[in-house]
Amino acid sequence: MSQKQTSVQLVDLQTVANTTYDVVIVGAGISGAVVAKELSEQGNQVLILEAGSYKDLTLAGFQSYVNTFYTAVEKDNNAPFPRNPNAPSPRSPDVSKLIPGQTDARNYLVQQGPLALDSSYTRVTGGTTMHWEGKTPRMIPDDFKTRTLHGQGLDWPMEYDEIMPYYRIAENELGISGSVEDQKAIGVPFKEGYVYPMQNMPPSYLDQKVAEKLDDTKIELNGETYQLEVKTFPQARNGVPHPDYNQGKGFIPDKLTSVHPVEYGERCQGNANCTPLCPVQAKYDARRTLGKAFRTNRVHLLSQAVASKIEINSENGHVTAVQFKHYQDSDSPQHTTATAKGRLFVIAANAVENARLLLASGIKSTSGLVGKNLMDHPYMLAWGLMPKATGTMRGPICTSGISAFRQGSFRNQQAAFAIDIHNDGWGWATGSPYSEVLDIVNNKNKYGQELRQELISRISRQLLLAFMIELPADPSNQIAIDPKYTDRLGNYRPLVSFNVPDYCRQTFAYARHVSRLIFQRTGAEDCTHYDPTDYGYFTYKGEGYTFKGGNHYAGTHVMGTNKHNSVVDKYQRSWDHKNLYLVGAGSMPTIGTSNTTLTLAALCFISTEQMMKDLKSQELRHAVV
Amino acid sequence: MSIDRSQLMKHFLDFSVVVTGFSKFNLQGTDQVAAYYATIEKVVGDEILAELLRTFHRLAEQATGNQLIMDRGMRTDIFGSEKLGPIARNIIKLWYVATWYQLPQSWRDNFGVKENDVTFVVSPQAYPEGLLWPAIGVNPPAAKAPGYGTWSSPPVITLR
Repeated sequence: MSQKQTSVQLVDLQTVANTTYDVVIVGAGISGAVVAKELSEQGNQVLILEAGSYKDLTLAGFQSYVNTFYTAVEKDNNAPFPRNPNAPSPRSPDVSKLIPGQTDARNYLVQQGPLALDSSYTRVTGGTTMHWEGKTPRMIPDDFKTRTLHGQGLDWPMEYDEIMPYYRIAENELGISGSVEDQKAIGVPFKEGYVYPMQNMPPSYLDQKVAEKLDDTKIELNGETYQLEVKTFPQARNGVPHPDYNQGKGFIPDKLTSVHPVEYGERCQGNANCTPLCPVQAKYDARRTLGKAFRTNRVHLLSQAVASKIEINSENGHVTAVQFKHYQDSDSPQHTTATAKGRLFVIAANAVENARLLLASGIKSTSGLVGKNLMDHPYMLAWGLMPKATGTMRGPICTSGISAFRQGSFRNQQAAFAIDIHNDGWGWATGSPYSEVLDIVNNKNKYGQELRQELISRISRQLLLAFMIELPADPSNQIAIDPKYTDRLGNYRPLVSFNVPDYCRQTFAYARHVSRLIFQRTGAEDCTHYDPTDYGYFTYKGEGYTFKGGNHYAGTHVMGTNKHNSVVDKYQRSWDHKNLYLVGAGSMPTIGTSNTTLTLAALCFISTEQMMKDLKSQELRHAVV
Repeated sequence: MSIDRSQLMKHFLDFSVVVTGFSKFNLQGTDQVAAYYATIEKVVGDEILAELLRTFHRLAEQATGNQLIMDRGMRTDIFGSEKLGPIARNIIKLWYVATWYQLPQSWRDNFGVKENDVTFVVSPQAYPEGLLWPAIGVNPPAAKAPGYGTWSSPPVITLR
């Protein structure tokens, strides 16, 4: 193997206390990893503070996550990661229905309602890419100007053309398998001749069976005709390298980083478990990028260090240090409080934790928008049984979908949506296949051969459609803090207020209508039902629906054109604090109908160019700390 | 191992074949027979487990290969027994998803709360051996991957 092996530079408190870094980064997820890699490769000394543990970087540590997942009764997104009361992560099984007007503070994420949000993120080295699915569609040009075009949400301070080259950089970094043709067909522009680094993941047999009945059929909406086409999704998953990539130079997928001499990152082999863990590490996660950062030997990692306060020089508004609480053992609240000093500070702890840390530091920004405009993708699920066995539960969780309704004039009245065809069956909606086993054994009184046949009949035909619905920025959806609610280390806990506006509820109603048409056209038996006792249940025009969170937290420090309409500029630099960058999906003014990770990675590549200029500037070169 | 326990272990394997619909060969191939036996013993105690397996053995001897008689006996004396039914159903679940599910409240009220009777997955080794996955022609999620692109092919299982 030609690549140099990774050596992680773990540091102790003493080293951190005695060093003034060029850059201090809070959070070892994908944003922090991209920034650390880019800036260290250009000669800067970087410190990363990570709230969670570091064991992810060892092969043994990763294997322990796999085993924890195997033995977890609840196999939710955070199932592989042991609970850590010193840096808790939200978990969907903890969420329960809210009582109107009452705050639910039983779990880390304090729910203020009116709707309970079950989205999670993961506070470990590698961040939420340690559990993400890996779907990486670009946003479409209209998504960058929804206020201008549709009178909804916010406009970006940049257009698609400006971010397009950085999408290519991000797609290289993440190692995307995808079909440019499929994406072009749904309205995503690409540079002439561009191909993704790797060829698209082959569509599942289920995709093919849906496409046979659905492709080229049409649906009318507001006098416009929308054609249904099943198209593959780009994904951050090792596939077959594309020979035409990079002017025919091809592409070699990154291997996983590990401090042990095993760099493991195989081609996808159909483990059917992209979320939360790919056991052969075919799925990209931020450890790959962290590995490149560590190879520069200019990056220090201090794990189990929870940032608690950003310290500001009141005279010039510069950040002077990040205060953090360092613990030795997640079983004990014992910790040491210390500070990390540097010239440039990058807060990359995700949209919720970034807002929490800023608010805990008294930083509300001139615009007052820190923590406001919280976005996520509310998902509506619809599920049915295909007429014949499709062998559901094989392959990557999702290989294809229908993107006809990602753009159109209807966005003046109702939100856009994209449809995923789930290869993993009804699990997200009903708890299948476990729920099927329990029902067939406990209630249907089947055993032996009858049991086996019943399982095939009920699981192998499952079709789950997930409707990802656009949610525009709205200041009343927000993350806040309150001294009443702190965690075991005494850090503020995030308080979430969340609602789904009528603009989106109308899309739930419409999406349900579309789901019925799809089931009718595919001959699938519609088994969808929404339970009023579900925590995501709400009504619209007399009909009930259930939403699920998309784990795509965004918007809590939006970028914009000036300090009055936004928290950061288009480089994700704080308007109020010249040496402070707030990076990640929190900067995004809209999220359209795209999973956020690819776009936030592209934004980080834009930011690092500006960070380099800042670090060389007179003002920061001699920054007095 | 005492002669009695080794005899009961054999009954356990025979019982498992009948309730799971998988062959003795398949079940032994999971390498979980002893682990599951020990798990059940640890949760409900050896007496109840022995009662279940002796009941099964008696039914099998009486049925002398007659499926109808066996099914009636299984349904009446085992699945339809207030004491043995919930344990028999739990053994099916154990085989299918490697999980012991806490017994129903009514069982606990009538036959006593057992200290180890909580819902748990037996072990990281047991999880990939669940019979659910071969039953529906797929790999256990996150284990035993079938290979790149296999998901594009028609399934091997069929509806009857």
